[in-house]
Amino acid sequence: MASRKKTLLKVIILGDSSVGKTSLMNQYVNRKFSNQYKATIGADFLTKELTVDDRTVTMQIWDTAGQERFQSLGVAFYRGADCCVLVFDVTAPNTFKSLDSWRDEFLIQASPREPENFPFVLLGNKVDLEPRAISAKRAQQWCQSKNNIPYFETSAKEGLNVEQAFLAIAKNALAQQNSTVDLYNEFPDQIKLTNTQKTSNNGDSCAC
Amino acid sequence: MDFEFPKEFDVIIVGTGVIESILSAAASRVGKRVLHIDENEYYGGQWASFNLEAIMKLKNSQKERIANKSDSNFLSFGNDLFNIKNIDYKFHVLPKKNKVCSEEKDKEVVDNNLQEVSQDDNEETWDEELLIKTSRKFNIDLCPKLQYARGNFVELLISSNIARYSEYRSVTRILTWLNNHLEPLPCSRSDVFANTRVSVVEKRMLMKLLTSLNDEEKETQNYESKTFKEFLTDKKLTSNLVHYVLYGISTSSDHTQCKEGIQKAKRFLNSLGRFGKTPFLFSMYGSGEIPQAFCRLSAVFGGIFALGQPIEGFALNDEKFKSLTVRSQTIKAEHLVMGIENLPKQFIKSKKHDYISRCILITNKSVLDCEKEQLTLIFYPPENNKSFTTIIELGYLTGTCPNNVYLVHLIAKQDTSPQEDFKHIIDKLFINSYHEMAENNHDKPHILWSYYCSINDSNDVELTEDLPKNIFVCPGPDLDLDYDFSVTKAKKIFNAMYPDLEFLPRAPDPEEIIIGDDEITEEAKEITEEAKEITEEAKEITEEAKEITEEAKEITKEMTEEAKEITEEAEETTENEINDVKNEKQETISEERQHTVE
Repeated sequence: MASRKKTLLKVIILGDSSVGKTSLMNQYVNRKFSNQYKATIGADFLTKELTVDDRTVTMQIWDTAGQERFQSLGVAFYRGADCCVLVFDVTAPNTFKSLDSWRDEFLIQASPREPENFPFVLLGNKVDLEPRAISAKRAQQWCQSKNNIPYFETSAKEGLNVEQAFLAIAKNALAQQNSTVDLYNEFPDQIKLTNTQKTSNNGDSCAC
Repeated sequence: MDFEFPKEFDVIIVGTGVIESILSAAASRVGKRVLHIDENEYYGGQWASFNLEAIMKLKNSQKERIANKSDSNFLSFGNDLFNIKNIDYKFHVLPKKNKVCSEEKDKEVVDNNLQEVSQDDNEETWDEELLIKTSRKFNIDLCPKLQYARGNFVELLISSNIARYSEYRSVTRILTWLNNHLEPLPCSRSDVFANTRVSVVEKRMLMKLLTSLNDEEKETQNYESKTFKEFLTDKKLTSNLVHYVLYGISTSSDHTQCKEGIQKAKRFLNSLGRFGKTPFLFSMYGSGEIPQAFCRLSAVFGGIFALGQPIEGFALNDEKFKSLTVRSQTIKAEHLVMGIENLPKQFIKSKKHDYISRCILITNKSVLDCEKEQLTLIFYPPENNKSFTTIIELGYLTGTCPNNVYLVHLIAKQDTSPQEDFKHIIDKLFINSYHEMAENNHDKPHILWSYYCSINDSNDVELTEDLPKNIFVCPGPDLDLDYDFSVTKAKKIFNAMYPDLEFLPRAPDPEEIIIGDDEITEEAKEITEEAKEITEEAKEITEEAKEITEEAKEITKEMTEEAKEITEEAEETTENEINDVKNEKQETISEERQHTVE
């Protein structure tokens, strides 16, 4: 696979409030953890560069910004996702039960081209806490029933398995990009508004 | 839903239209506690985008809420004045492949070349069933907007850093209906020179005019009460050039005042050469993304969002908004902002208002075929008393429709009804019926599906004077191409609520925010606190020392004074004593002398 100039992966993290979505991405990108729980404020998206199979990849991880609390994530949030990370809290059974609806919601809103092959990754977070409500076996069974979603048990607090999980996320997202023809370039020549943008007379010009 | 809302906010916003969403972002950005709710399950209200199935489910009228009459201080949200009206849609393709129809088509196929055969294949593919099946590929705007590349809205997106939540695409060509066909509008210098329909003399005239428009004051001196059309005609422009400038570059009509026409032309010309060949941008996935981008920023800064809320009403106290009732929870706030469709009827002064006529089409090809997919803006001039119409044709690359079909939006000020307002345009540009399809007319696009409706233009609606001072009302969609009205209105309301705060200052980039450093920050804070205390203490000690020194000085001074006084006294005393002695002596002497004399 010829390496592209720059690969940008958009990853979104979904799951019930307070399962540790912000903590996981913050642990992964900034290697920091804050014990004080507060509804996500100031968390937007974090960017990390990593190398996967000799390819430099920029992973952009998008937080829900708290809009999941009252099921108010707009469809705009899901646009162009390359991978969806589902998170539950291994000590809170309700957060595990919600996984089905989060997965369905993603498939409806993002409406990926091949829903059955879209890369999901499941993270069972807070394994440092007791008592445990959802066993690894139960989580794995769920993953198997959903076309073998990879499963990782993590602790954002202790940084356990976080690095490995996100590496798998990047790999799966890349595999998706490679297998689906032109998925990454579904809508080429999009314009990002910035101050420095120069006049572009790109491929749009046409004789007519 | 097992979460409760906090009981108090700085501002509650009801409705997620563009203006409400801009305000939400602005208030949240400067640290205000925002609760933003909407009765709908989706963002955007009448500014939203819908998939094909969803837009067909929109209702002409919503239920009117019944006011709680027992209490005059409790008002129910909503009125029936600003609902979408005259919704009418249909499929122009048959539900399933139809024998009769395809037979007729077969006849055509023989006469036509290969390319058209393949197009016919596409046509046949698009039956009702397939359109419904690809429903989610559609993002159909009720209120499609374009952005001027250097307009107020784009500048706001960039300066506030909200631009990071959306992507755009350039409008690739602008067409206008002139001399009974569609032709490209020459809008830049290079366009003018490249245009083969404009003569050399006309080119020179047009260039001169475009350049002179910058010298606005000089140009408009004698045209204060005249129309832009008169101004252009007096410039002795040919009728084609008047058309280009009036209906194209200045997006004006016959009655537009000269000054306004020039301003609009400048707005157009100023936006050339920034992002593409034309001055316009279109937001990927439709205009319904715009309110969501602002809401996202609001959420990032702590705004709480809840869609699909059964909003009941709000309580007044002392003629001011006091609290809102939602899901039987009472929530207080200092200000209430709402979309005009949520305003209780009693606060609306004028019951009549303007409408925007809308027509939305799904077609099988572009109005003007081209090798590459185009994003087309068409200015259709006023014709036989019909209003100026803006047409936007979107292809697959905008993320608003599936491949091989086009989504066409028609927008005009409503005159009679959407159907009648656009009939002349539909007849000229599209093939509308099975009958027409059967005729030998393959140039024009076929309409696969059409949707008509009337949207309220509530921007000039007057409100009553007894509207509580801490309630702010946001009007709905307008006819402008861009969001300039919305930005202006949002700024005005923001300044009324928070006159001393900045409107949407630049939001930091994610890299600038470090989350999770609370502990370190706390520690740093403590150390700073301690340092402060020590400094304070040191200051106090210095102060004290100073005082002591002062005191000591004073004491020394006093003592010196005293010593002086004592010395002086002593001196005086000595002198006196000497004098006394002298006197005594003299007395004694004189006495003795007397004695001696006696």
